[in-house]
Amino acid sequence: MSLISIKSPGFINAVMSLAIKTLKVRYKNSLLGIFWSMLNPLLFLIILYIVFSQVANKNQELNYALYALSGLIFWNFISASILQVLTSFIDNGDILKSVNLHPVAFPFAAMLAAIFNLLLSFIPFFIILFFVGYDLNWSIISIIPYIIVTSVFITGLGMLLGTLNVYFRDIQLLWTTIMPAFFYFTPIAYPITLIPEKFRWLIKLNPFYYFIDSIHQIFHDGIFPSLENICVMLALSIAAIYIGYAIFIKLRKGFISNI
Amino acid sequence: MIKLSNVDIAFHIQENGFVSIKDFLLNLGKYSFLKKKYILKDVNLEIKKGECVGLLGKNGSGKSTLLRALSGIIEPTKGKIELNGRVAPLLGLGVGLEKELSGTENIKLLCALMGMTSKEIKELMPDIIAFSELGDAVNWQVKRYSTGMMSRLSFSIAIMKNPEILLIDEVLSVGDIGFQRKCLKKVQEIMDMGATVVFVSHSFEEVKRMCSRAVLVNEGKIEHDGTVEEVGEIYHNLFN
Repeated sequence: MSLISIKSPGFINAVMSLAIKTLKVRYKNSLLGIFWSMLNPLLFLIILYIVFSQVANKNQELNYALYALSGLIFWNFISASILQVLTSFIDNGDILKSVNLHPVAFPFAAMLAAIFNLLLSFIPFFIILFFVGYDLNWSIISIIPYIIVTSVFITGLGMLLGTLNVYFRDIQLLWTTIMPAFFYFTPIAYPITLIPEKFRWLIKLNPFYYFIDSIHQIFHDGIFPSLENICVMLALSIAAIYIGYAIFIKLRKGFISNI
Repeated sequence: MIKLSNVDIAFHIQENGFVSIKDFLLNLGKYSFLKKKYILKDVNLEIKKGECVGLLGKNGSGKSTLLRALSGIIEPTKGKIELNGRVAPLLGLGVGLEKELSGTENIKLLCALMGMTSKEIKELMPDIIAFSELGDAVNWQVKRYSTGMMSRLSFSIAIMKNPEILLIDEVLSVGDIGFQRKCLKKVQEIMDMGATVVFVSHSFEEVKRMCSRAVLVNEGKIEHDGTVEEVGEIYHNLFN
């Protein structure tokens, strides 16, 4: 058939163009541009600092601002990009119905736009990080494989939810309701030591724990992510992309009549 | 060449309008949830290279679905579609245009979505701008365009790659008379180069002017396939 698939020469250009379009539109009429993506985590940091100041003072080892801020930045990246991948099929419904581009381009483009956005926000992010006492060291290079593995996980999960969302729009509503709960269920702005030892296994059932804990290890502890984290993240990513892609391929024939 | 053999296209549609899990659960067992609805049933059609075929039919008869199937956007549920050649997309009015971006940026975007590489886009860009007659307006944000300007932009993008198979879904009836004539002339040019054209229109006059052969689609089936005059008569009788 004449479908423009992953193997076609123009596929990458199509995905890139969609991603760039998303970014251009997002910052078109804003004066502060990318700095907006820092304002939300900074505001949150102030609130959380007040709430968790007790913990912050008690634990000498903990640089709370550094710990919470790095967690918040990456949590925002993860939660926002899952939603963008999830809604990508419906957002591009018109294009999906009139251009013979393989629809897998839409989640890929949404993910790519989220990665570009994250990389751009690194500029203000690192300035603030140094300000709150971040020591630059070699562990920072692990951020590159980290972003790749995390993006694979997000794309898989988002594609799975996004495919189901074409048939049941509840998925999107359900997800936007659940995500704030996950914010508190994941040790993003509080250390896991705050949880009594006998309940910690519960936290470890949460897949997001491993992605955020790795970030704390890189930015706060200044070490490479632990072997446990790496193994779990890899397993989760492979499982997510495998299941997400399989479900998408199975159900994509019905997209045109349901969008 | 385009050849459809025994093509069925069916959609699973939610006949009772379920769009939420709550409705779905409440009505579980009362109705079957997804109904299989045939949009096209047992369609056989062969269009030779260089032919121009008009598709006529009532609203909802399956014409647009047939075009989507031809362009590869929908896969047939059953049967086989064979087609050789580069297909131009079915760009309806304003489809895929990003209103916040400029005309030029939209040309780049849509060409990319059609599978062109950035080199090809760069080469085609001046031709597209010239054909659209937008002049300085290509640098404006598309949200400031009039309806006619938007459709001129869409049409210019769709047609410029010199497609071998051109599928037209009622897009010619937009723009002023001058631009309509120009579009028809361009379609004629593309046909002269040996392209195959499938043309959906409710205007019998347009079909008569462009095509030598017409196909009447009714309730998902090909009711008649013949000369434009023959099909036109049956088509008009459908409404009497």
